[in-house]
Amino acid sequence: MGKEELLKAVEDALIKLDEGALMKACDDALAGGVEPLEIIEKALTNAMTTIGDLFEKGKMFLPQIMVAADIMKKATAKLEEKIPADQKPEKLGTYVIGTVEGDVHDIGKGVVATLLKVNGFDVYDVGRDTPLQNFVDKAKEVNADIVGASALMTTTMVGQKELIELLKKEGLTCKTMIGGAAPTARWAEKIGADAYAENATEAVEVAKKLVGAE
Amino acid sequence: MEYYCRLGDGHLIKMTKEDMKNSIEAGTNDAAERGEIPALTDDEQEFLLDIMCNPQKNVSVEPGNEIVVTHDIGTIRIDGDQGNSGVGIPVSRLAGILIHERAFGTDTMELGHIDYSFKPVKPIIFQEQQTVERVNLLATILVLYGAMPNLGLYYYPDGPFNNPSERFQAGDVAGALEAQEKAAEHAHRDMVYIMKNLWDVGCEGVNFDTTAAAGDADFYATLMATEELKRDTGLVVEMGMAAENVIGIHGSIEYKGMRLAGLYPHEQVKVAEKAGVDVFGPVVNTNTSRDMAWNMARAVTFVKACVEASDIPIHVNMGMGVGGTPMFETPATDMVTRASKAMAEVAKVDGI
Repeated sequence: MGKEELLKAVEDALIKLDEGALMKACDDALAGGVEPLEIIEKALTNAMTTIGDLFEKGKMFLPQIMVAADIMKKATAKLEEKIPADQKPEKLGTYVIGTVEGDVHDIGKGVVATLLKVNGFDVYDVGRDTPLQNFVDKAKEVNADIVGASALMTTTMVGQKELIELLKKEGLTCKTMIGGAAPTARWAEKIGADAYAENATEAVEVAKKLVGAE
Repeated sequence: MEYYCRLGDGHLIKMTKEDMKNSIEAGTNDAAERGEIPALTDDEQEFLLDIMCNPQKNVSVEPGNEIVVTHDIGTIRIDGDQGNSGVGIPVSRLAGILIHERAFGTDTMELGHIDYSFKPVKPIIFQEQQTVERVNLLATILVLYGAMPNLGLYYYPDGPFNNPSERFQAGDVAGALEAQEKAAEHAHRDMVYIMKNLWDVGCEGVNFDTTAAAGDADFYATLMATEELKRDTGLVVEMGMAAENVIGIHGSIEYKGMRLAGLYPHEQVKVAEKAGVDVFGPVVNTNTSRDMAWNMARAVTFVKACVEASDIPIHVNMGMGVGGTPMFETPATDMVTRASKAMAEVAKVDGI
């Protein structure tokens, strides 16, 4: 098999959530001379993107994504053993996420947090109905690359604006993202957020761009 | 020549007829691909293009194509301010219903409380019984009692069960699934308790609004409640959905042999029928970054497939961010009337 076919076999095995086939495909790719870092960055990453798309279209569900993340982690660990210490892939970034104070909605934010985590971000979920200062404190504590704020309602989305003002006031230079039901790209622009995402899958892609991973 | 259109966030834009045509084609194809349903025909796309390019600010249906119009949470839309998409005129819930019936010509109405989830109704059930009795003494139209199943209220910190989001993030998939199954049992029990108590004082029906907002377990709880209420009471059941696709937070819950996760409107309605639902309200989400020609074509495609699959009346959800209308507290009438005409005359819905 050529390199492209070897990478495709890895990708397909992860999408099918077949741990045995994934491990074998990784072994085959390594034996075929494919660099372990390339297997991670191309095949495994592409597979997780496809899995995100399938989730967004209702063809794959959250528990299956957790299974995918679990077997990807095992495959990554196996591949990283072959990578010199100075070339090991770094975490994509550190992401602090929460729903702003006054808004008790948790479901959408939780889905976004889960997808970010399985796609390689270090995620710190500060919960829902969260005082704005908690976002700031956590972002300082973990040296966040991105702070993401969710708001479902028109009555609470103003909290996103106040959070961005507070982050600036406290001197944080991390990127900011917003989402939820009522917020829009225009609202993000108006309040000075760095990015907006329409849904959970898009949130992952946008976050990757913000940290320069795409 | 350019025509006025809007983005999904309500922002006014201008588009050429060619751009509008391309958007309609892309919108219907997107729905067709996701839902594995037919795209709109060339004639239907042309009809939508005519609606979008109509020079009038507002449009309407041809005589004879009028349909039923009902309102969820309209009871408090007069009293509520802009924070509730209302107009801030202080009136009671009873007056709100009568204004809709006698001034606005609404065909059916819904009585709901300000928090609008079922769970918090339980401790105030006697207040709600009293209000139902008063409303029924004065209103002529069918008045449903409406609220959200809202499974989220059964999870920590609002309820007794583990929060699935936290469990998933901790890698505890089994814990996340178990929490949802337990929450569904409790939500089912609460919805039945509340509606049986309201049935006892003469309530005519129930509207399960934003069903499946918390995923497939939320949908399951509502189907089980419907089944029990249809068996034990004479309540009319309307089921309005929360999104075009049932999000699979559990992923493997089934109702009568049908997996609930991932269902689109034309599949959701068949499950609803099995449970005994009388009127079904499909939802199609608006993409706020795309134009309304795209959004409207997409919404009409999903809803048309739902109507064709259904054996019960379809009252499509239309308003702030769903059903081919912009995501805005009070969406502009230009797009609301265009979407309404398209739903009535292309999707052939029974009501809005």
